Amino acid sequence: MKRKIVSLLLVTAMLALGVMGCGSKSKDKADNNKAVANTENTADTASSDDATKEDATADITAEPVTLKLFSNLPDRKNGQGLVEQTIIDEYMKENQNVKIEVEALDEEAYKTKFKAYAMDGMPDVVSIWGQPSFLDEVLDAGILAELSEADYADYGFVSGSLEGFKKDGKLYGLPRNTDVMFFYYNQKMFEDNGWSVPQTYDELLALADKINGAGLTPVAMDGGDGWPMAIYLTDLMVKINGDCSQIVSDAIANGDFSDPVFTKATQILADSAKAGLFQTGYDSQDYGTAMNLFTNGQAAMFYMGSWEASMALNADIPEEIRNNIRVFTMPTVAEGVGKNTDIAAWNGGGYAVSADSEVKEEAIKFLNYMYQPDKLSKYGWVNGVGMSAQDQSAYMTGNETELQLQILDIVNKATSVSGTPVNDCGPSTFKASIESEIQSVSNGSISVEDFLASIGKACK
Amino acid sequence: MKRLYSNKLVIFSLVIPGILVFVFAILAPIALSVYYGFTDYSGMGKATFIGMDNYKQLMMDQVFHKSLLNSLFLAIGFIVIQHPIAIIVAAVLDKLQGKAEGIFRCIYFIPNVISVAVIAYLWKFVYNPDFGLLNNFLKMFGYTGKINWFSTDLAIWSVLIVLIWHGFGWGMLIYYTGIKNIDPVLYEAASIDGANGKTTFLQITLPLMKPVIQINVTMAIISALKQMETVYLLTNGGPGNSTQFAANYLYKQAFKAFKYGYGNSIGIVFIIICLIVTVCLNKLFADKKEVA
Repeated sequence: MKRKIVSLLLVTAMLALGVMGCGSKSKDKADNNKAVANTENTADTASSDDATKEDATADITAEPVTLKLFSNLPDRKNGQGLVEQTIIDEYMKENQNVKIEVEALDEEAYKTKFKAYAMDGMPDVVSIWGQPSFLDEVLDAGILAELSEADYADYGFVSGSLEGFKKDGKLYGLPRNTDVMFFYYNQKMFEDNGWSVPQTYDELLALADKINGAGLTPVAMDGGDGWPMAIYLTDLMVKINGDCSQIVSDAIANGDFSDPVFTKATQILADSAKAGLFQTGYDSQDYGTAMNLFTNGQAAMFYMGSWEASMALNADIPEEIRNNIRVFTMPTVAEGVGKNTDIAAWNGGGYAVSADSEVKEEAIKFLNYMYQPDKLSKYGWVNGVGMSAQDQSAYMTGNETELQLQILDIVNKATSVSGTPVNDCGPSTFKASIESEIQSVSNGSISVEDFLASIGKACK
Repeated sequence: MKRLYSNKLVIFSLVIPGILVFVFAILAPIALSVYYGFTDYSGMGKATFIGMDNYKQLMMDQVFHKSLLNSLFLAIGFIVIQHPIAIIVAAVLDKLQGKAEGIFRCIYFIPNVISVAVIAYLWKFVYNPDFGLLNNFLKMFGYTGKINWFSTDLAIWSVLIVLIWHGFGWGMLIYYTGIKNIDPVLYEAASIDGANGKTTFLQITLPLMKPVIQINVTMAIISALKQMETVYLLTNGGPGNSTQFAANYLYKQAFKAFKYGYGNSIGIVFIIICLIVTVCLNKLFADKKEVA
């Protein structure tokens, strides 16, 4: 009898453990959400507290709604992350029944987890990129909600900026920025050493020699990630050939990159790296390391997008450097038809709403709130995070940094823009290939011909 | 109690959790991988059956070949560099006795308990050509150039050094335990016979350590094949694909190139290779045992 009781107890214990192990999915999910809210976004918790305390006029009788926002802006205290968080805080203050939980990861980790979410259910509002390399598969899978383009008629979106977020004429997302690629440079360092901003590519290489001679790095390049060099290639192609969009789309469609503009641009990139334009080991160094070289004064220039214009306001960067950050665009290339005012610019990142969101209505309401002209666009400008995809002319405060004014001037005077960089024009297989192989061709471990053949193969 | 354990219901209830974990956490994902390996699934949307296409492509994929060669290089590096040093250090530690033995044992094991992410970033800084410890150290000896430790030619060696450094403590600890299990009487007898340190090490320690060496070598080869996180954080397979490893390549294909089906076919081939290597090693060591 005793043996039977012990057996029964053991079996019961095993079953109980099994049941506990399986658990309830919804409870697990709720716990996970709680964990996300607690660990990944302390700003959210703090701000929601503020919201509940401060706004007594808000509607507190409405049904509580929790929105999950998945963002690629992990730094919530600077730049675009700060802008995003500010708008979230304001929305929660105005809509006290709404709680927004933010999960933010940096770009690479974000894209990986985005895919995991795509299989298991997306958060309600997500960051996206209006480029074929990212959006094609996402739209094919039908995981983003359709938006009504007519709703945004008076939102001041720059002409053509919504195109990358459309499929078959339907709109699935909204662009956040107008991204422009620059050489950031340290004006004081240039003046102290008697260096001048190069107007031609040959002058840039000659300047690089002088900077190397002074024991500094000419251009800090995030070569470890691949994409900045792919944009560099796009920038060079614009200077060689002017508008290259048709050449790029034909090359990707046919898997044939034999057009001379690809060969010439790639050769210039490889020759520049060989000539010491970039830091030693650029092809294995990441974004942060490259940026630190520039912000610590070890590099005279930094090749990066307009989203880093907030460096001029970043208190972590020594004042002497941050006050002297200026930009210039890719210089003209010998025998090229592109002018200095033909720039590498595009509308890349943005936001969308999940098609399966249980609170889709609220999510779209929040999305529209973010894009009200006096939100993302205004706060972006005030915080010096570069150009938005909306008209910002109404938000000039007179307190703009010199860097902001310079960027605005370059964009206003642009005679043409490149559109989506070459690496983002094709399928993700092509993107993965070009961003890896461009390291090899720039450091000379494969030939230009092999590089072009390899990325062509990735398109097929 | 003995009768209790012979009760089939009890045996069943004790075994079933393990079996369920094995089925759902190992077998089912492998079965799913086999299925997806025959599809063009991108990770989202629908999967279309494409037969052996992924495997045919994989056989021609030079990056995959390169990643297997890198795994082989790593395995040889472990066996030829890491393990001989680990055995010698374990033998020396054994001889140290007293407090020093414990202190050094801890010191050598420290890299093993530090998170891989910390290790990777630590070494990224050590190797940095501009402000890294290594180049600055060389500067002290008058070398003014900047060595790119992650250049296409050097990167795989730099990765090997980090992995050897990181895994050294674990290998050493297993050897150390093996040495501790050797009967001290043998050493005493050898000492009476006039054997010196070198002779005792070669004639007593090494032969008696054979089973431990076999386990460690098998583990080294498997860990070389499975290498992923350190490489991902240190070089992500770059520059180009010079430090690419199968697991990292699988990840890149599945999650960056949106070729989930192809990634799964890599996974399946990878499992088969691991199984073949394990079986071969077992056979190799088993034969030697029989001969002995």
